[in-house]
Amino acid sequence: MVMNLNRKSLISVTDVVAMGVGTALYAAFNVFFNIFQLPGTQLVALRPSVCIPMFFGYAFGPIVGFVSGFLGNTISDAISWGGFWWNWDVGNGLLGLIPGLAAYFIPREKLFDKKGLVAAAILSVIAAVVGMGFAAYTDYILGYGVSTIEEATYALFLPAALTDAVNGLILTPILAAAYSAAVKGRARRV
Amino acid sequence: MPKRLIKYIEGDSEVHRLDPRAKLLFILSLLFSLSISSNFLELLPLFIISLLFYLNSHLPWSKTKPTWKLILTIILVLSTLNLLTLTILYSGARSVEEAAAKMFSVDIISKSFLPIVKLLTLAVATVTFIFTTPPNLYAPALGQMGVPYKLAYIVQLALRYIPEYIDDMGRTLEAQMARGYRPKGGRNPFTRILAVVPLVVPVTISATLSIYDIADAMELRGFGEKKCHTWYRKLSMKTPDKTLTAASIAIAATYTLLFILKTG
Repeated sequence: MVMNLNRKSLISVTDVVAMGVGTALYAAFNVFFNIFQLPGTQLVALRPSVCIPMFFGYAFGPIVGFVSGFLGNTISDAISWGGFWWNWDVGNGLLGLIPGLAAYFIPREKLFDKKGLVAAAILSVIAAVVGMGFAAYTDYILGYGVSTIEEATYALFLPAALTDAVNGLILTPILAAAYSAAVKGRARRV
Repeated sequence: MPKRLIKYIEGDSEVHRLDPRAKLLFILSLLFSLSISSNFLELLPLFIISLLFYLNSHLPWSKTKPTWKLILTIILVLSTLNLLTLTILYSGARSVEEAAAKMFSVDIISKSFLPIVKLLTLAVATVTFIFTTPPNLYAPALGQMGVPYKLAYIVQLALRYIPEYIDDMGRTLEAQMARGYRPKGGRNPFTRILAVVPLVVPVTISATLSIYDIADAMELRGFGEKKCHTWYRKLSMKTPDKTLTAASIAIAATYTLLFILKTG
């Protein structure tokens, strides 16, 4: 059997594996961090693990980032308490999708240099604001649990976006730099 | 960490026996109908349907108790928050006495509890789905629902690797401790969980580097070469599954019609 390994496809085998691994990593860490509920909020947890979909998005592209965040959060919610909230899963997907947009304006070879790492940090903060904004305000718009926009802002959006932004700002560039160094050492594909 | 990660509870109820595709379609239909409902009259049938779905699954209270405790805590916190914010910010009350009187008015009560009923309806349905569907059927169900097999396979891969990465955390922590790192332990569960934070970078990087090896192995076995894919577990729709599917479509269609009549 002769295989055409150069065939172009929207989702390559590496992407499929990256999505699976990203999902598994995000879910595995979330299971531990879901215990850190922030007081006065509903199910908003302090999760340093948000850097995982952000990093996967930045390193492997927006689709990989989105799926890692979306499925990782769905599975970890199913493990932690036995259910899932679709809009928070999409919000977590956006945490991975937005850093992945770097691929459209930063050349691949500059993705992991100093400027690239600054871009990773900035995109992680934007992702935290957009992703958690989507999750919190869809709760208000669709009427899932909250009645007022003030509640959505102070009880959901601010605690979730602030903690995710700080975690992403610090940890995503660290992960990107560590990944770049490790890949150089292995002389493999970046 | 328990061996069975996803909270599946074995059973032989009608809901347990249902095809996962029919259950998933039911959840999607409920989700859609809930999202476009805007009053108690519309929500009540959905809540009853969701509750019947749960009751028919005959899930033992002892095994679902922690989940219900969490859901009821969220509902209690949110109900109080809704009541307080609506009374303080939207009732137009100018004194504490006036606010106390307006707090239990029909308008404030209905606005406070409408989102709670939506949340509870959704929680009851998703909890039933998770507790009654074996995790090994998630990927075949998605694949046989028409979702591209590569996407369905991601779920399979993720469920396969989660326990491995949890073990990896333990191994990495032991390796760090062998080099002199001493995580703050003790009896406090939060400090024990904080010990996981220094593991995020090493475990993620080692897992990321393995991606290329796994992808190479899969490519060498021909994964991704063909557009179609067969599944070891063949799912077949029986009469109850077809009935649930038809009911799900009918629910979504009815609520769409109601929504059009309301807005149009």
